[in-house]
Amino acid sequence: MRVQCQILSEDEKHRVHAESLKILEQVGVKFLSQRALKIMQDNGAKVDQDAGIAKIPAEMVEQALKTAPKSFVLGGRDPARDVALPRPTTGYVLDLGGVFTRDFKTGERRYATLQDNNDAMRVFDEMELSSVVWPHSMVEGDTPNSNAIRLILHSFMNSSLHVQDEFGEPEEVPYIYEAMAAILGSEDAVKERKLYSVTYCTLAPLVHEGGMCNAYLDMIEFEAPILIYPMPCTGSTGPCSLFSNISMGNAEALSSLVLFQMAHPGTPLIFGDASGSTDFASGGFLEGSPEMVLMTAARGEMARFYGLPNTQQGCQTDAKEPGPQAVMEKLLTTMPLVLSGADLVQGPGCLETSGLLCLEQIVVDEEIGGLCNRMREGIDFDDARNLFDDIAEVGPSGHFLMQDSTLEACRSDEFYTPKLFDRHTFERWVDLGRSDTYSKARERVEEILATPQKNPLPDDVIGKLDEIMRRADEELK
Amino acid sequence: MSIEDIFQSILQLKRGEIADLVQAEIDAKTDVGAILEQGLINAMGEVGNQFSEGRLFVPEMLRAAETMKIGLEVLRPLLVEADIKPRGTVIVGTVKGDLHDIGKNLVGMMLEGAGFTVVDLGVDVDPKAFLDAAGENRAQLVAMSALLTTTMPVMADCVGRFKEANLGARLIVGGAPVNQDFAIKISADGYSSDAPGAVELAKNLVPA
Ligand code: B1M
Repeated sequence: MRVQCQILSEDEKHRVHAESLKILEQVGVKFLSQRALKIMQDNGAKVDQDAGIAKIPAEMVEQALKTAPKSFVLGGRDPARDVALPRPTTGYVLDLGGVFTRDFKTGERRYATLQDNNDAMRVFDEMELSSVVWPHSMVEGDTPNSNAIRLILHSFMNSSLHVQDEFGEPEEVPYIYEAMAAILGSEDAVKERKLYSVTYCTLAPLVHEGGMCNAYLDMIEFEAPILIYPMPCTGSTGPCSLFSNISMGNAEALSSLVLFQMAHPGTPLIFGDASGSTDFASGGFLEGSPEMVLMTAARGEMARFYGLPNTQQGCQTDAKEPGPQAVMEKLLTTMPLVLSGADLVQGPGCLETSGLLCLEQIVVDEEIGGLCNRMREGIDFDDARNLFDDIAEVGPSGHFLMQDSTLEACRSDEFYTPKLFDRHTFERWVDLGRSDTYSKARERVEEILATPQKNPLPDDVIGKLDEIMRRADEELK
Repeated sequence: MSIEDIFQSILQLKRGEIADLVQAEIDAKTDVGAILEQGLINAMGEVGNQFSEGRLFVPEMLRAAETMKIGLEVLRPLLVEADIKPRGTVIVGTVKGDLHDIGKNLVGMMLEGAGFTVVDLGVDVDPKAFLDAAGENRAQLVAMSALLTTTMPVMADCVGRFKEANLGARLIVGGAPVNQDFAIKISADGYSSDAPGAVELAKNLVPA
């Protein structure tokens, strides 16, 4: 049986749902966008115009749950890397939301550059479990208004995966769509293939932004999937109990679901969660805590309760540098998500609470993901795995090393082969240079970056993307 | 009854007791300046120290600040009479385009605890609003917060406008993506990576 961890009982899921409905109906949700408020009102919400608050009845939630698609595909730039949701095994989202990079050569923490974005894309592309990439964040540059476009287009150039981004300004949309048409060879294919999706964070507690919300409503006709990503922080922007923070985050997510389904029924939505817990000593937002993953895993179970595809925050750490804390927290915040069946886990690549990109961490996180995914597969009780005949053949004493079944199984998925762990004897380990997990990860990064990109875009497409970026620089000055 | 009791009531988060304790000291004709300095401000100084050392948690620090404020309200009419001014006025806000406010709130509350009058403009504050508020309130200090790469340039814009307007207020910056180099680059008067640091900075830039 596959290993299944359960965070919420059936009864608890119903309680979270009931609490969410109660929050939506009795407290309501504030919309800073007049357009959004009107959509809510036109569809049956009780709206207080002055306060900007919509009280959302349960029927609207039910209606939205009916029209939200239960499955869809996040297209990869390379169709072989398409991500069909829901997934039978957990996939991983490269977390490059942060602003800083740990310089690969010097170890210095500095602002991120476009080159860091591209290097991270190249490294993540070579990881087996990778599914989706988030572009990096850039502070500097002569053309700050076209930074986001540059990062997205370079992500397409350097990664064969689906690109997901927070989306800043409506003016950016035409450039991104033109780029996708250039990559896919036709405008029609853009809607169809869905190479790009966007992240929508509600503003805890219970607020929807104005500008960002309008921008998402503007682009909804393109049918780009939207990752709904509430981030209530239990103890600061969220109530100080896991139960209520989960319920409030769930209510925020349901209110987004209602908004986008009412605006455009059938919009593909990923029901995500990136809750945090408060570091009471500093007020900081924690992503590497057990409470964080209990909440995001619970919200993942709520997504499945509603039959919706999901992305949960996990594989995260609050450590400032690579090392034991990073590994422990990332393992801790990945395992429950994988064992409870999350479609996608967003987190690999980052340290410092999603703030610092570290290239070697991408490789370490792949190992963490591999270990967790292996645990999820559990023990195979298929008849084919019943090796009674071998036991009979070898009999008491003897060994199984020469059996055909051993030869076949030693490279099968039943036996996970770690890429970074050392399993040599002490002496051999010393002879081999006393390697550790991170030094092996660094070697792998060096190797990837030293070899040419495996799946580059054709030169003429790159030419077109360069042209689009040049135009964006000019026009968005 | 003594000033020490007032000091202790803040450290012990006794919100319900402080008003009576302060009133008792006033009735006993204790010097109001002493009640303010040795009772209220020193207690918040100690709270700040304990918080910086990680011994006090944020909700406790906030309750202490609230307790202090209750005491201050009782004292305020007498402070005005005795012409004792608060430490200085600080405008705080998260810059235009940015809605992150957890860090900004902490900074504001700690500054208040340290005796500053804090005018919190909230989030998504445009440079003109900072400028207007600083003028209206004759602020000595403006503390800006930004959490997004896309909103950091607003800080530079703000610094430029303040220099132009020559209001005399000093500008300090903070927020996760901001660092010392950035602060120097945009000619801000200071940077701090956390809330206790912002209080230190404010104390240095606005001496009592
Ligand atoms: C002198 O004056 C001073 C001095 C010191 C000062 C100071 C001022 N201000 C702060 N300090 C200092 O003192 C404080 C206390 O010690 C500290 O304050 P901080 O604010 O740093 O620390 C707080 C106590 C705790 N930290 C936080 O509260 C921020 C945590 C993270 C996870 C975060 C959160 C929680 C949120 N977010 Co936002 N968010 C992230 C953050 C990642 C991170 N690790 O920073 C970041 C900043 N967000 C990001 C993004 C992308 C976004 N967020 C968004 C929204 C949100 C939420 C609303 C969901 C929520 C904020 C809730 C709220 N009410 O504030 C969106 C933008 C909204 C907007 N227009 O502002 C959105 C665009 C996401 C989306 N697609 O919708 C990323 C920014 C990347 C970039 N390009 O810059 C991000 C780094 C996360 C990531 N890795 O993707 C110090 O910095």
